[in-house]
Amino acid sequence: MKTIPVEAYFAVSTALFVLGLLGMIVRRNLVTVLMSLELALNAVNVAFVGADYHMGLVEGQIFALFIIALAAAEAAVGLGIIIAIFRYRLVDSTDEITDMRG
Amino acid sequence: MVRLLIFTFFSLWAIVSAIGVITFTNPIYVILWLLSALIAIAGIFFTAGAELVGALQLLIYAVAIAVFYVFVLTAVPWEKAVKKSSHYRTEGVLSFPLILLLYLEIAVVFLLGVTASPEGQLRGLIEKFGNTEVVGSILFSKYFFAFEVVSLVLLIGMIGAVLIGRKENQTYEDDTR
Amino acid sequence: MESLIILLSPLISFILISFFGKSIGDKISGIITSLAGAVSFVFSLGAVFRSLEEPYHIKLYKFLPLEGYDLSVGFYFDPLSSITSAVVTFVATLIFVYSIGYMHHEFGNWTFKFYAYLSLFLFAMLLIVLSDNLLGIFFGWEGVGLASYLLIGYYHQQLKASNASLEAFIMNRIGDWLFIFGIISCFLIFNSLDILTIFNKIPSADPYFLGLATLLLFGGAVGKSGQLPLHTWLPNAMAGPTPVSALLHAATMVAAGVYMIARLYPLFDAAPQTLKFVALIGGLTALFAALAATSHTDIKKIIAFSTMSQLGYMFLGLGVGDPEGAMYHLTTHAFFKALLFLAAGSVITAFHHKLYDIYSFGGLKRYMPVTYAGFTVGALSLAGVFPLSGFWSKDRLIGSYYEVSLVWGLLGSVVAFITAYYIFREGFVVFHGEERFRNRVGYEIREVGSEMKIPVLVLLVMSVIAGLAEGWYMKAVGGMEKSIHLDVALSSFILASLGIASAYVIFVKRIPNPEKAYSALKILHTTLKEQFFTEKLYHRVLAVGYLKGSKIVHTVGEKHIVDGFVNLLATAVQNVGKNLRFAQPGKLNWYAFGMVGGLSFLVVLLFVLLFTE
Repeated sequence: MKTIPVEAYFAVSTALFVLGLLGMIVRRNLVTVLMSLELALNAVNVAFVGADYHMGLVEGQIFALFIIALAAAEAAVGLGIIIAIFRYRLVDSTDEITDMRG
Repeated sequence: MVRLLIFTFFSLWAIVSAIGVITFTNPIYVILWLLSALIAIAGIFFTAGAELVGALQLLIYAVAIAVFYVFVLTAVPWEKAVKKSSHYRTEGVLSFPLILLLYLEIAVVFLLGVTASPEGQLRGLIEKFGNTEVVGSILFSKYFFAFEVVSLVLLIGMIGAVLIGRKENQTYEDDTR
Repeated sequence: MESLIILLSPLISFILISFFGKSIGDKISGIITSLAGAVSFVFSLGAVFRSLEEPYHIKLYKFLPLEGYDLSVGFYFDPLSSITSAVVTFVATLIFVYSIGYMHHEFGNWTFKFYAYLSLFLFAMLLIVLSDNLLGIFFGWEGVGLASYLLIGYYHQQLKASNASLEAFIMNRIGDWLFIFGIISCFLIFNSLDILTIFNKIPSADPYFLGLATLLLFGGAVGKSGQLPLHTWLPNAMAGPTPVSALLHAATMVAAGVYMIARLYPLFDAAPQTLKFVALIGGLTALFAALAATSHTDIKKIIAFSTMSQLGYMFLGLGVGDPEGAMYHLTTHAFFKALLFLAAGSVITAFHHKLYDIYSFGGLKRYMPVTYAGFTVGALSLAGVFPLSGFWSKDRLIGSYYEVSLVWGLLGSVVAFITAYYIFREGFVVFHGEERFRNRVGYEIREVGSEMKIPVLVLLVMSVIAGLAEGWYMKAVGGMEKSIHLDVALSSFILASLGIASAYVIFVKRIPNPEKAYSALKILHTTLKEQFFTEKLYHRVLAVGYLKGSKIVHTVGEKHIVDGFVNLLATAVQNVGKNLRFAQPGKLNWYAFGMVGGLSFLVVLLFVLLFTE
């Protein structure tokens, strides 16, 4: 039944995760940073599902579902915050909102 | 063998799309690449036998969330913002070795976890009843409370998003005088 | 168990008055206080008769078990403690009754507080007298200190009174500090605080430690009894109401020091060096205070110095090994000193609490016959004139001095002469001569009311007859029966008469004219009046020097060292923060970069830990 090695799932998951992290670091636009975040979240989902496939469990899939739901909430709130920032500051890049700098 | 081929196809697709997500400058292209990556990931889910998660990935992510992003990108007048380059190149170069290191580290952790992971007790059930039914029965019995909490979080997130994102009336100062 | 009522009745009165005083009124509060004192006195008499047959012990409960010893509350009734408690409650009750009249002009002005304090005072004093362990004595000791602080500062609107109460408190604190160290060393030596247990263990104790412990305990007595060098609070305590002065000086607070040493006398007996020190302090104080009394003009301060002097007598008596004589003198002294104070209080009341200088009175004997009689009997008794009570007790003490050393004996005789002189100086100036108050007050001088007269009369009778009980008292407390030394008695009688006569000649016949004599001997007069400048030394040099020193420590130590250290720390933190600012640029991607770096570092660390095992 297990024709795909679980290590392959983890390799893909890790690749997607670090790509998401890299996107968060290098992206300037706030919306694209949020999209990179979504990518990283999906990478975690891949790892969960792959582990389920390997171990014959369903908990990973259930957590994947929760993550999808939370990602939806996160996207809604995050985009709302970005829109609010844009409305008050007319900026859309991360280096413009540095009010918390030391 | 065919499954492996399909998996490899979806994996490559997902990774290429992810690279597109972080490299393209125009946000519209970026959201399209993200959509493509999400669809590819749904395909990966199908290869792992997780039909329910894959279907929900397609329905919620690929349709609802992506469309939400598209709405935001098109409805907000981003052109009023000061135009800047889309990437931090210095940070990208600096963080690349770090990211590679992190990749290796996570891979090692996963490999250690694979060799240590026990065999689950549900495989027989899954093969007998099908994956979706088992997921549903466990989700609505063992994880029912967590499910309720997540739905509450969604509700709160929705209300919060509406509150944060709504247009403020500019009559504030007059009203509170 | 009914003996507990002795203690409980003033305590109950205190609680009752402090909670309900406002609603039951000032006069009823005073009556309750007096009744509580009377009840206490009656039961004390019962305790006296019972303890004369056999001393008995009431153990109430243990409140703090320690290793090897349990701190407990208990009371021990032997002839000494029960007779003292009877004397204390008797005099206190009379003073309470008297105070109803004395404080009458203050009624309606929260005066019930005064009676609550008086009850507390009596309770604390009885705790000292009756406790069977040193800790109980210490509780009473502190309670007396607190109550005296509250009572001396009763007229807290006056700066003089609040300063005096503060001074009394601080001076007592110095003494109490020594006292508690004495108690701690007793505990270290004997591993017990029970007086009887301590007495049983004395033969096995190290004499050096015993000397130290008794010296420390005596330090407490010095503070409480106003001996040199902790004496300045005692005359200043006259700022309180006169019944308080009477209570403080006659039977309670200042007597506590003498009583404590008499109670622990076996302990002191085992430390002869300490006894010599006690005698030295007592003798010096007796002379010192008597000299100071000769030149003061405040009607109450003269009597206060006389108290100091008489307490010095008692300490000298303790020091030369006659504790029973000292306690007997304490008893008679309680009567005639209370009598003197109450008489002085009557004079003050007659002058509406306005005049205190003895030279502003004069010729009062026609207007206040009862007060005059009371004061005269008290003064005669204090001077030691046959056959009043003071004669018997003082004579016994002076006889004991002569038995030990001629120096102490001569000192006692000289002080007896000075005592007779100064107290009759006050008496003659206040009650004889021309009426100097005429141009100061417009009202007629009247004798005080009967609630003040009766205590004076009762004390007058007691001052006369208390001397007759000497034999009984000595038998009760187990003192030596000493036959009267005819030569000592005769000589001190002659000295007392000489003192009275010289006071009469100077202040009634005015040969030489006292005002001229005072101005001629101005230096001597001032020296004596300023108590050899000890008070100035304490107030101007020690207190001000302490303040100056504190200021210097504040400006140097506080501002530069303590603050400097704190400021240095703040500057260091600020500089570190300034140099670490770059780590907080406020950019999201930098934070993400930091997260990635930190995570990878942690995982590397984990691997290192995992694979090096």
